[in-house]
Amino acid sequence: MLRSRTLLAGLAVTVLTVSGCSIKRVERIDPNSVTDLSGRWNDADSRLVANALITQSLEATWARDYAASNGGVAPTVIVGQIRNRTMEHIPIGTFVRDLERAYVQTGVVRLVAGAEEREEIRDERADQQTNATAETRARMAREMGARFMLQGDVQAIEDSEGRERIVFYQVDVTLLDLETNVRTWMGQHKIKKYIQRRRLTP
Amino acid sequence: MRRTAKVPAKAAARERELPVAHITLFTLLLGVMLLASACAPYPQRVDQPVTIPNNASVPRVDPADAALGNQTAYGMMRFSADSVYALAIRGCAEGVCDAIGRGEIILGMTPEQVMAASRTGPQAWVQRRFDGFGTMVPASPNTSPYDRVGQVMVVQLDRGAAAVVSRRGPQGIMVVSKPQDETTQARARAQAEALVREGDDLVAANDMAGALNRYDRASVLDPEQPEIEYKAARLLDLQLRPQEALMRYQRFLLSMDLERIRAQGEASALMAEAIALAQQRIVILQREVR
Repeated sequence: MLRSRTLLAGLAVTVLTVSGCSIKRVERIDPNSVTDLSGRWNDADSRLVANALITQSLEATWARDYAASNGGVAPTVIVGQIRNRTMEHIPIGTFVRDLERAYVQTGVVRLVAGAEEREEIRDERADQQTNATAETRARMAREMGARFMLQGDVQAIEDSEGRERIVFYQVDVTLLDLETNVRTWMGQHKIKKYIQRRRLTP
Repeated sequence: MRRTAKVPAKAAARERELPVAHITLFTLLLGVMLLASACAPYPQRVDQPVTIPNNASVPRVDPADAALGNQTAYGMMRFSADSVYALAIRGCAEGVCDAIGRGEIILGMTPEQVMAASRTGPQAWVQRRFDGFGTMVPASPNTSPYDRVGQVMVVQLDRGAAAVVSRRGPQGIMVVSKPQDETTQARARAQAEALVREGDDLVAANDMAGALNRYDRASVLDPEQPEIEYKAARLLDLQLRPQEALMRYQRFLLSMDLERIRAQGEASALMAEAIALAQQRIVILQREVR
């Protein structure tokens, strides 16, 4: 009798657990909120990096110095490679796009297409020379040359012991003068995370 | 008998039930203990204040705020540059106006015209003046102004007009102080001279391939300079490349206007010696090649 009751209770608990796990909940939340789940690189980190780089680069004097030597004309920048040198998957494009958007919005820097975009544009322009009417086709050899190139990398240092883990991310971005190789400006942002895992998840 | 037989049966049943109850209680206690120990805080070794807690908000920065200083500065620069350009083209001579249009600094330009030709404003230059003379140097060494010819390093002013213009080139500083230095040929000649100097230094440093490279480049820039051909021929001769040396000696002799050299007499004595040596080497090398 007792055994059968225990078995019944066990079964009921299992059924309840299984049915509880299958409930899905989807909600829209604020994209600016910090939501750390696993401790890995996430949208909050990308936003922090973008904020820091936008502020650092737009407040620095390099663009103003260039404009002063060129009658108030904004410098032209091409975005080169920003490498992920960590073992983690980090979508670099998220904060790079934020930075590009800030440059274009403010007009402090003129951006030209990067290596990948350039190829597609050139293909389209070449196609226009054959297929578009003379008055609407984009002319060849009118590209604007960049004076500066933005390069950088993301590096990570990880340290863990038992259920604790420390992850340190360092994002470095450098603006290089294409003619002289001079490092004109350097931006940096550091993020340190402490991740502690509980033994049981509630 | 029946009663007495029933009692031990109940007791036996109770005896059988008791261990089950004990086991359940024991399991429950063990579970509670395990749960308590699992949920107890892990001994944390890092004790730093949290800068951004979970569920906090990190809004995007407004780039317009960060760029405000630069945007204002750009506006002022453009305004002052426009004013300077208006001053520069007011009553300018024809050649100067053309040069401003081309974006080239030429001798005789006023400081405003220098700025207009280099598409800069007063912020780009540091001007020093004394008694009609003066200099214009770039305000920032990293972002020196450019004109169509190259990177401008110094403009020397004499009675308020550009008298000497120095530009940075791949072979060093190129100075323009006479109107004839401003032509394309004159610039090419100046570059060729610098390349020959580099070639001579490389010969002294025993880099024959590098020296030959400089002489070749110099001979393309200034084909009317036979001395470059002679130097290249000597170098090839020393490197035991007779066929190429022979061709270079012949080109050297062809490029020389011998009659003119003879007429110039003393002034061309050194060249005459070189011609004699080249002729000798041609005879020897022709024998070797055959």
